[in-house]
Amino acid sequence: MKKLLNKPFRTFLTYTFIILACSIPVYYAIVDFIWLRELDEHNRILAAKIKTNITKVAVTDSALYQAIRVWNQVLPETKITETSEMKADSTYTLYRRNEYLRSKGSDRFQGLVTTFSVNGKLLSLTVENNVEESNETIAAITAVAIVFFIALFAGIIYINKKISKKLWQPFYDSLDRIRAYDLQSQKKISFEKNDTVEFTQLNENIERLVDSNLKVYTSQKEFAENASHELQTPLAIIKSKLDLLLQTPSVTAAQSVLIEEANNALARVSRINKNLLMLSRLENQQFGDTEKVDISQALHDGCVLFEEFFRDKKIDLSVQIDPGVTQQANKMLTEIVINNLLLNTVRHTPTNGNVQVELTAQHLYVSNTGTTALVADQLFKRFQSAAKHTPGSGLGLSIVQQICLRYNWEISYHFSAGKHRFEVSFNNA
Amino acid sequence: MKILLIEDETSLAESIVTYLVAQKYICETASTFREAIEKVESFQYDCILLDLMLPGGSGIEILRELKRMNKQDGVIIISAKDSLENKIEGLQLGADDYLPKPFHLPELGARIFSIIRRRKFANANVVTQNEITIDLLSKTVHVNDALVAFTKKELELLLYFIANKNRVISKSALAEHLSGDMADMLDSHDFVYAHIKNLKKKLTDAGADNYIKTVYGTGYKWEA
Repeated sequence: MKKLLNKPFRTFLTYTFIILACSIPVYYAIVDFIWLRELDEHNRILAAKIKTNITKVAVTDSALYQAIRVWNQVLPETKITETSEMKADSTYTLYRRNEYLRSKGSDRFQGLVTTFSVNGKLLSLTVENNVEESNETIAAITAVAIVFFIALFAGIIYINKKISKKLWQPFYDSLDRIRAYDLQSQKKISFEKNDTVEFTQLNENIERLVDSNLKVYTSQKEFAENASHELQTPLAIIKSKLDLLLQTPSVTAAQSVLIEEANNALARVSRINKNLLMLSRLENQQFGDTEKVDISQALHDGCVLFEEFFRDKKIDLSVQIDPGVTQQANKMLTEIVINNLLLNTVRHTPTNGNVQVELTAQHLYVSNTGTTALVADQLFKRFQSAAKHTPGSGLGLSIVQQICLRYNWEISYHFSAGKHRFEVSFNNA
Repeated sequence: MKILLIEDETSLAESIVTYLVAQKYICETASTFREAIEKVESFQYDCILLDLMLPGGSGIEILRELKRMNKQDGVIIISAKDSLENKIEGLQLGADDYLPKPFHLPELGARIFSIIRRRKFANANVVTQNEITIDLLSKTVHVNDALVAFTKKELELLLYFIANKNRVISKSALAEHLSGDMADMLDSHDFVYAHIKNLKKKLTDAGADNYIKTVYGTGYKWEA
């Protein structure tokens, strides 16, 4: 995945690179052309000067020859020779070793050959001038192009960053808020005001979406809480009527069994209802008060609470608690986590099985004997009781998970070597 | 013993009254806030059973009123609102106990028994059942003047039976009572059986009569 701003950035860079690369031969051609034309002109001026001055010197033929000889000795490159026919001016370019500055190596020269007549004699004049070599020109232009490319590259990166910071700032701001948003917090989502039409529209629409979701979510939760509440009274009535029915002298043994069975089912409904209510309250962010809870003590109390039940099922309980383990949490909720985990072991461990409870500063482990692994990702869902025949409400572990979620504790389940193992990792950051 | 039941759900009120009257309590009822306030202001009760959600006002207001009048009636809140905040608020305002709905009638019987004993016999709270004497303060039991050691749970069970004398108590009610808050989640009928067996054995071993009778195999009764 690439960032949005980096996508055009790459294209821009490639385009710039191509243009700058193409500009190198073009610049070279132009510079070289101007150079040569300028030198041709320079040579022509020089030639004209020489012609004029030679004509002035050549009062006699001997003086002329004398001057030509001296000239050719002093400036051999600018030769003056006698010729037989009048030719049109011509130019040439050649590479030749520099005779005077040998260390410079081969140089490029631009020359002009022109013919003129002095005292009825035809003379050919060659004027030569040093020109910058083409490879040197290309190197210089390339170097400049590279410098410009780097400048552009750096500039684009810088501007890109600036744009992303300024122009896209409201977008990233919104993105952060959406990412951090939690429907369970039941707060409305709000965005910073900005002056970009698209972003404002985006924000408005997200706000609208979240608001309608929030309404649905809230009413659903209120429904769960209200329904549970409303159920308590009719349940109480049924329970009391069954209790009274049992007091009737004419109740037969068979009827009494019916009453007891109704009572058992009723106990289960009450349990489910109570736990649903607890879940709704957890999700409604109740139980907000926290304190430094002594987990070691709470776990010890929990084990004592269930001691009789373990003894009853002949379950071997081994407890290893590091002293003084504390967490910032709600005391009652912490007890619920501990008790629900212990309760599960009481309920699901076979007779003569064993249960291990271990507490360290980082973890709480509760493991018990079992036969087959439970489906880990179903375990914490509501009403996904692993075993349907047990009187569980199917909500115990959901409640544990909700509480762990609240305090950033991590709950996990593993099965190995015939043992179910629940682990709560505390958030000690 | 006079009890005032403040409850707007008439069907539930009827059940409670029927049960308590059979327990030899004198029972009055109030089904609205106004009626409740009038009765509370005019009469003295040994125990008031108070529902929190009433037509015309909140049960919490009645508690405040009782406190303001400096009345000494024992109060048990019976509420469908089983939240810690409500419980704490109620207890802070002077309620003696908090029993969330739904509950078993024998449970209510046991709570009323306990509160009336505590209020009436604060200094010498001794329950006597023929040869059995229970000192509620020191939590000791004597059978024919000999001290018998009971566990906490067995003592609770004994008092529960005595509070619901001659009533049939279902195993579910006993299980709920024994396992307390937690563990109405447990399938604890065997657990109940084990405790009752121990209690019976300790009592008869100490020379007491066998008061605990099994009824149809699904419930128990303290016959005296």
